[in-house]
Amino acid sequence: MKSAGGLFALASLLISMLALPVIADEVAPEYAAGREVYLKWCAPCHAPGITHPGTHALMTKYQGVKSGVLLEWTDLPASTVKYTVRHGISVMPQFRKTEISDAELDALARYLSRNTPQR
Amino acid sequence: MRVPPGVSVDDFSSALTEFRRVVGDEWVFTSDEDLDLYRDAYSPFLNEPEERMASGAVAPVSTEEVQQIVRIANRYRIPLYTISTGKNLGYGGSAPAYSGSVVLDLKRMNRILEVSEANAYALVEPGVSYFDLYRYIQERKLKVWIDCPDPGWGSVIGNAIDRGGGYTAANYRNHFDAHCGMEIVLPNGELLRTGMGAIPEAQTWQQFKSACGPWIDGIFSQSNYGIVTKMGFWLMPQPEAYMRCAVSLSRYADLNPLVETLNYLENSRITQGFPDISSPLLGYGPIGQIQLFFERGPGKSSPEQQKLVSEATLGFSPELEAYAVKSGTAYWEVLLSYYGPMEVIEAQWRATQRHFSAIQGAKFRIVDRVTLPLDPAKIESYHEPEFGVPSLRAFSIGARTPWTPTPSKGHMWFSPIIPRTGEAIIEANRVFGAAARQLDMPLFQTFSLPACYWERSFIFILATPVTEDPATNRHYREGFKKLIEIGGQHGWGEYRTAPVFQQAVTDVYSFNNHALRGFHETLKDAIDPNGILSAGRYAIWPKHLRGKQS
Repeated sequence: MKSAGGLFALASLLISMLALPVIADEVAPEYAAGREVYLKWCAPCHAPGITHPGTHALMTKYQGVKSGVLLEWTDLPASTVKYTVRHGISVMPQFRKTEISDAELDALARYLSRNTPQR
Repeated sequence: MRVPPGVSVDDFSSALTEFRRVVGDEWVFTSDEDLDLYRDAYSPFLNEPEERMASGAVAPVSTEEVQQIVRIANRYRIPLYTISTGKNLGYGGSAPAYSGSVVLDLKRMNRILEVSEANAYALVEPGVSYFDLYRYIQERKLKVWIDCPDPGWGSVIGNAIDRGGGYTAANYRNHFDAHCGMEIVLPNGELLRTGMGAIPEAQTWQQFKSACGPWIDGIFSQSNYGIVTKMGFWLMPQPEAYMRCAVSLSRYADLNPLVETLNYLENSRITQGFPDISSPLLGYGPIGQIQLFFERGPGKSSPEQQKLVSEATLGFSPELEAYAVKSGTAYWEVLLSYYGPMEVIEAQWRATQRHFSAIQGAKFRIVDRVTLPLDPAKIESYHEPEFGVPSLRAFSIGARTPWTPTPSKGHMWFSPIIPRTGEAIIEANRVFGAAARQLDMPLFQTFSLPACYWERSFIFILATPVTEDPATNRHYREGFKKLIEIGGQHGWGEYRTAPVFQQAVTDVYSFNNHALRGFHETLKDAIDPNGILSAGRYAIWPKHLRGKQS
């Protein structure tokens, strides 16, 4: 098992290539569909590094209190993912169901909240 | 249930039932929750009564389904409003121009029908984004480049028919000009193909643009005469090498010869890439590097320079010019880029230097000199779209950064076209600067430089923020309209605008008592007599709504 840091570095490198579907699969199979949605719709703004405006915005907002990289969050409930995708925030627009269907959004929310303890 | 204006509840219910029969229940949207997803995320009327809302949305997956929907809409007089990927942010997003329309959402029509490497073209459907087309090409290792605008999630077709632009070589940057052949569903449901596509079993639909007889493609851009369901685009063969070079000039008056020389070199195709004019002295960076401003913060300048710049008039004072000479700071700098075999582009750079050497004190440097394709791991060191690589990096504009601690809710683009001369740059700054200060608008507050997306003309692309505060948004909307009007009085017009400003912008195009608008309306009445397609788009209204809209 690679370290989380190594995995993110790898993800970052591959995302920067925009070769989105070919990232080596390090997540459990139940998260594969969600990660596919993440790579297509979220990563261009939320992958690691300030060249991704979503990440830069979150880095600025949290000032090191927590990571600016969504994939590293451990306090991201599925409900927050779903609300934000359907309502947008700041310059991030909302996403329609023809872009991210309800089923895809469920998968995405499961993936992004996989490290968040359920209450 | 929301109901389009002028349509009875019974008729709308019947139409929705028929829409569902065509596309399936899943792809007809009527709940408030679903329809709010079609709001313009950057609406300058955010949360105000005038914000344009959809009464329904229907998402076909094929041209045949589009035809059926259009026929149903005709039967019940349902106003439809077509979107491709719905990501025209800053220019209207996914919301209808005529509030209460049913959005015809073409995102599911996302097939890439053909990419030819041998003849360098693509044929796509409207739901295909720049990311989609780029990935398709990369996965197949085809040696062709797309030309994309900054936001990579936009529709290749939608951007072209809203007449957007990109960043590679001149003959690909103008996305509508780079198209070749369209397929259109007309307002009566009939299917039309333009150019060589009008020949059954056409062999050259994506290879010869105009065919024979009137070339009508232009009327399907920035309009509401049909629904484009397929469109061809010419692609650039992957170049062997790339150079980006800088020419720096030291005096204010050098702006005129800079532009004249640039025009000659670009119009002669001695330089092909996106020319980018900046002023290191005035602190105005190249538009193609704007992401660096938001990622790394504003450049540093000495207190003396800042003071002199703040005291300058139209970017000039003798003291400021003396400072430029003393400190060796360029007054103007133009970045020029070249695509092609290294021996060819090096020769083009030599010719460029020879021409610019006529301007006293011109300095030259090579910024980038690389063979292609680039190492993908290094693409972020560059402005990706100049290499035909889509990204979303430009959304740093308005997003929260250390230099923008309070993010905006979006932006609207003020984008007038002005002549390609140094004099026009200064005159536009004089006119718009005085107006913006008087109107308290956040544009032209210091000296602004235009961009070179299009050949032969300049365009200013300046963002006005959209906020959460209706009073601020109202102030900016009113100022924006006033700037449009003032531009028109000087012979300048916008190239593109959001629906809320389309009336104001097209009002400027008034030669001979609005003969052009009259012609558009004549076409509208002939092609779409029931007025069902995208009412109000670019201020073209069907007869029954004409003169009744603001």
